[in-house]
Amino acid sequence: MSAPRLPGALVDTGETLKFTWNGRQMSGHPGDTLASALLANGQRLVARSFKYHRPRGIFSAGSEEPNALVQLRRGAAQEPNTRATVAELFDGLHASSQNHRGSLNHDLLAVNDLMAPFFSAGFYYKTFMWPAKFWEKLYEPLIRNAAGLGRLSGQEDPDSYDHGFLHCDLLIIGAGPAGLAAALAAGRAGLRVILADEDFRMGGRLNEESYSIGDRSGADWAATACAELSAMALVRLMTRTTVQGAYDHGIYSALERCTDHLADSSGKPRQVLWRIYARRALLCAGATERSIAFGNNDRPGIMLAGAVRAYVNRFGVAPGRKVAVFTNNDDGWRTATDLLAKGVRVTAVIDTRKGGTRDLDGVRVDHGRQILDTSGRKDLKSITMDGGIRVEADCLAVSGGWSPNVHISSHMRGRPRWREDTAGFVTGGELPWGLSAAGAANGTLTLAAALGEGQATANRIAEDLGHAPDRTPLPRAEDEPFQITPFWHVTASTARAFVDLQNDVTTKDIAQSHREGFGAVEHLKRYTTLGMATDQGKTSNVLGLAILAEVSGRTIPETGTTIFRPPYTPVAIGAYAGRARGRDFRPTRLTPSHAWALENGASFTESGPWMRAEWFARPGEQGWRDSVDREVRMTRAGVGVCDVTTLGKIDIQGRDAAAFLNRIYANPFLKLPVGKVRYGLMLREDGFADDDGTTARLSETHYVMTTTTANAVPVFRRLEFARQCLWPDLDVHLISTTDAWAQFAVAGPNSRALLSRVVDDMDLSNDAFPFMACAEVTVFGGTPARLFRISFSGELAYEIAVPSRYGDAMIRALMQVGKDLDVVPYGLEALGVMRIEKGHAAGNELNGQTTAQMLGLGGMVSQKKDAIGTVLSQREEMTRDDGLRLVGLRPLERSEKLSAGAHLLNPGDPQDMAHDQGWISSVAWSPTLSHAIALGFLKNGAARHGEVILAHDPLRGRSQKVEVTSPHMVDPEGTRQRG
Amino acid sequence: MADITPTAPLGGHDARFGETRLTEVTDLALVSIAIPLGGEDALTSQLERAFALPLPDARTATSAKGRRLIRLSPDQLMLMWQDTDPDPARGVAAALDGTGYVTTQTGAWVALDLAGPLTLPALERVCPLALHPDSFPPGRFARTVMEHLSVVILNTGPDAMRLLSASSSAGSFLHMLETSLRNVSD
Repeated sequence: MSAPRLPGALVDTGETLKFTWNGRQMSGHPGDTLASALLANGQRLVARSFKYHRPRGIFSAGSEEPNALVQLRRGAAQEPNTRATVAELFDGLHASSQNHRGSLNHDLLAVNDLMAPFFSAGFYYKTFMWPAKFWEKLYEPLIRNAAGLGRLSGQEDPDSYDHGFLHCDLLIIGAGPAGLAAALAAGRAGLRVILADEDFRMGGRLNEESYSIGDRSGADWAATACAELSAMALVRLMTRTTVQGAYDHGIYSALERCTDHLADSSGKPRQVLWRIYARRALLCAGATERSIAFGNNDRPGIMLAGAVRAYVNRFGVAPGRKVAVFTNNDDGWRTATDLLAKGVRVTAVIDTRKGGTRDLDGVRVDHGRQILDTSGRKDLKSITMDGGIRVEADCLAVSGGWSPNVHISSHMRGRPRWREDTAGFVTGGELPWGLSAAGAANGTLTLAAALGEGQATANRIAEDLGHAPDRTPLPRAEDEPFQITPFWHVTASTARAFVDLQNDVTTKDIAQSHREGFGAVEHLKRYTTLGMATDQGKTSNVLGLAILAEVSGRTIPETGTTIFRPPYTPVAIGAYAGRARGRDFRPTRLTPSHAWALENGASFTESGPWMRAEWFARPGEQGWRDSVDREVRMTRAGVGVCDVTTLGKIDIQGRDAAAFLNRIYANPFLKLPVGKVRYGLMLREDGFADDDGTTARLSETHYVMTTTTANAVPVFRRLEFARQCLWPDLDVHLISTTDAWAQFAVAGPNSRALLSRVVDDMDLSNDAFPFMACAEVTVFGGTPARLFRISFSGELAYEIAVPSRYGDAMIRALMQVGKDLDVVPYGLEALGVMRIEKGHAAGNELNGQTTAQMLGLGGMVSQKKDAIGTVLSQREEMTRDDGLRLVGLRPLERSEKLSAGAHLLNPGDPQDMAHDQGWISSVAWSPTLSHAIALGFLKNGAARHGEVILAHDPLRGRSQKVEVTSPHMVDPEGTRQRG
Repeated sequence: MADITPTAPLGGHDARFGETRLTEVTDLALVSIAIPLGGEDALTSQLERAFALPLPDARTATSAKGRRLIRLSPDQLMLMWQDTDPDPARGVAAALDGTGYVTTQTGAWVALDLAGPLTLPALERVCPLALHPDSFPPGRFARTVMEHLSVVILNTGPDAMRLLSASSSAGSFLHMLETSLRNVSD
């Protein structure tokens, strides 16, 4: 049963929210966090610690929480390791504790606590070494089983996530006193402002302290400020949004939790990861309180003093009935007075500072004393001071001072700077571009000063950006007393004193780390795990390094601090992925005939982003080979149609287009006549083959280049580079027309007959339109088209292009008018089989390691002109007569298959790389020849046709005899394509 | 004679998300015009004569008589207007009388008009540019990338954008925009 709330709480007690904790029904109110609701329901033991499985309670009231890590929701949506202190309560929330065997109350692994001497710092570097064979079978499974905190569901994340982009003049990180004052000033000055805060209620400590601003409470002032800001058109308020990181050029990442506070996301993204482009940024992220290390300082009921005030003032929950305070600064006293004001009994105030005289009515006060130990395993019962003085307490509020939240400021390697007066690191070194800090994040820890600094800094930024500053006077506010005498740990404690609660790192671990040679702060972190895991040491880092400084006899500035990296708080991997999941991982490109292919039994394969039909299955076919073989046979016997739109098409125009192409291609292009197509080979600068394709000349100044599908973009980029950077004096212009035209290969002896029914009024005879001719034509009564007589299959073949919006109609029309010619669609596999039969190179042969000579195209590299790669292609090693050459291969035993990637060896030679003769690049089963065939590169291959050699495939454990042939295994004379 | 009629990349898609409408523009003619080396003055004069269109700068479209002209690179323009001619470059070439190199681009692109109150919130999820009217007023255009897709974005009026992207990935483009609209709608 939830306890009645203290007066003045910022929760809506008029409404009740039901939730479960470890299956037990509990209730809270809107405005609660899970932590405040658990405390209100009397649940003080909420977790087991990481290593020793010690009982732990709620320690803080914010994102710094090291203890209260819980699992939220159930089923696939279950999320482990979430902080109860920032989980907004909603009706129907299921929450459970984690990291225990058995129940939370009776954790079997609590035995680890008894074995603590074996688990000291660096134990995993020293243990599990012997016997070695135990590692894999015993130690690792045991460690894996014990490691980690919560459990993943193992199911796919059912939520969706999104990304987004925001732009502003000023990004204000944190909406506490400084952030709100800055936002008001910047908003009034006319800046475009984003004010982001990780909390669901803006105001920061204004909501958690008993501050007054003007004539109202701090919380009221914050609400009024937010109302004013909401009404400003140029100000965007983002609650539940954590700025996670600072990056180059004033770019920040921020995670907005959109539906985490709702029982149902209604299909909307759970979280949005924003990229914020900010002209300036102001870090107003406040400060995090730290603890003091003393014996058994980790029991449920021991909390940060500021958190105690937050639960009392903001949530109206008393974290104990008998509260003691342990402090080294004035904040502890404020805690006591706030508690007393709410009617909560304070049993003692223990101030480590000597010589104090301050008193509190009816409260035991101890100046210059320390707490040595505590009692109460699962719930604090008492504290023991030096001198053996024992005081009853079920809650201990500890204040060891405040550490400014400088994290974002050091994401670009800026080293924080130590400030003696406030005993904390503040921003230092080189800050991210455009970032400044104000308020507690800047070490300005008192209210009036924070408000003033927020306003003044925002005004400075406004002026810097050319806006008149806001002259509105700030309301009156007090600077509360803040005096601190650093006190880090109670050396007289004999019991373990915890520094990092999340990782169970004690003062002894730090001393041991130093003793064992890990005395640098970065080494300390790795050796002890201090400051790792979900809280990244927000409450422990400074305490840990101060103790390290003490044991090493150095000052804190000499000891230094570890550097911070994004993200500030944990981010779900799903948020980073955004929409890029499953099918939405990247865009897909579809050919113009895609819909038709789907209707006609096509299977598709990815070819870069393209989805290409690989074959078209027909009823009765037993597998893909049946379909592919049929498509090849029917094409070679009749006519086949293949969508080749994916090949890159580049429109090239200009007075100097011919000269340009002549420099791009290794073979001559200057004299290509209008109406003709030429096969072209591009070399890289180093002389190796880059890409091939055809280029057609449509007019004196107009060419259309085709590239391979894979290289469409790289070739375009290369041409653009050549045009802009190499030869800016040439009048040449490029534009991609890949998507503008739907292009179909029409191949086979009946292709002419088919196209004569398609193309309007044109003589397609060999004389009128011979091999390698091209023309701008019309089809089906006036639709513009381009016709090319080129052949990849080796058949009498054409490629016909129509504006891409006519592509769907075109494939249907081709199939319709070719029905009596037995026209067949063929896919990428049949296309591949036919090009291997014909000996045409493709990606497997143009792999970046092959030369024109190797491809049998050495004669194409003109020596009468200069083109990219010409000079270096003539290097001695690249032009050897006995070098690798493209050959055809077939198994000596014709029923055998061949293996792509197999190495070629001379019979009898050892099967090693020293005797390597080449490799097989492409294989296929040829339905035309009725046996397997291959293309490959063989040393001196052109002179070895007819030889029998060995194809050795160590990967598949196969060796076989193969016969070397011409790469042109079907129609080597080319009579079909020229017919 | 077989029937051969054009199909828009998204079949004339038209969807509403509350008060916001996403419509495929199916009759948009697109012709790229390359400025010959040293020929900017001649082309500028001819554009004025033929279409009453000033040569645009790199950020803002010029428009006249139902035609809009944007400058996609220092030497390349894109002319757009309402027309279903499958080869609109032919007419432009005639009008320019050799002062520019023209290429039909109609089929290379899919065009979507996004208009209504969700326009900016939806684009915030995918477009890295600042689209607030202060920085991207009507008439302003830019070439950018959204979810890996190259996009030309043109502000056509208050809360209204015209978006052009490659026609082969039109399905992914539509999915991207509709996901954004769904994600930001009530």
